[in-house]
Amino acid sequence: MKDFDARWQRLVTAARQAPTADDVVTPYGFATRIAARALGEPQRPALLAVFGRFSIRALWVAGLLMMASVAANYLAFAGNEDDEQNLLDPVSEVLAAS
Amino acid sequence: MAEETFDLAACLERVRQRDQIAARELVDHLYPLVIRIVRSHLPRRVAEEDLAQDIFLKMFTRLDQYKGAVAFSHWVSRIAVTTCIDQLRAQKRRPEFRWADLSEKEAEVLDSVLTSEGEVAANDAFAARELVYKLLSQLKPEDRLVLKLLDLEQHSVAEISAITGWNPSLVKVRAFRARGKLKKLFEELQRKERS
Repeated sequence: MKDFDARWQRLVTAARQAPTADDVVTPYGFATRIAARALGEPQRPALLAVFGRFSIRALWVAGLLMMASVAANYLAFAGNEDDEQNLLDPVSEVLAAS
Repeated sequence: MAEETFDLAACLERVRQRDQIAARELVDHLYPLVIRIVRSHLPRRVAEEDLAQDIFLKMFTRLDQYKGAVAFSHWVSRIAVTTCIDQLRAQKRRPEFRWADLSEKEAEVLDSVLTSEGEVAANDAFAARELVYKLLSQLKPEDRLVLKLLDLEQHSVAEISAITGWNPSLVKVRAFRARGKLKKLFEELQRKERS
């Protein structure tokens, strides 16, 4: 359609002539109802804020656990270096026996 | 909206302190702005008040996020537009537009637009508006919105950018694509009329 723009503009120009509903006054009780619903209930912390707070706590706990486990394992490894030599190797034992 | 007679900053401050009287004043002050957006983006007015209520409740919930970077009315407009778009997305779109969907008067107007070069008669304005809404309802909510604001309400690109939060280039691109889709719809209707 070559002259689509002209046709569309004719249509919207006609549409603009139609009377529109101009009653923009707030319906009775509307503002009171909204205000009561929006501010009437005790303010709850936003979901993201709750999530954020728990995330930070979880991060601290995870960090502490990580440090504790690294420390515990480091001590275990450092203290048992010589024991590694004495560990039984079942494969070599089987091979030696055969 | 009489911004100069209404102390918006003071009202917002009181609302933040959970003053219900200030909240009511704010709703009364913004209602014309919000209801115009709701009416122009939701032709089926069944739930117009419910939608306005959703918009206001969202506005109060997000009030702490308003930092004053844009005018408050623009910030509220964006909430209203986003809410309307979500609502329009939720409405199921007809898969195909048919002449049978139109009233007799609307079909006459469409026929006149498609076949003649003359202006639409002034007493057909209401049918023309309904027809425009029906045609636009075939588009995606964003496309519908941009054409309504641009062609029907005759806002400038800059104004649409302020209302929607889309940058001016995006507004132009959306309008171009939306007109392209509408053109295809016109062609399809013309073909159906002839067949």
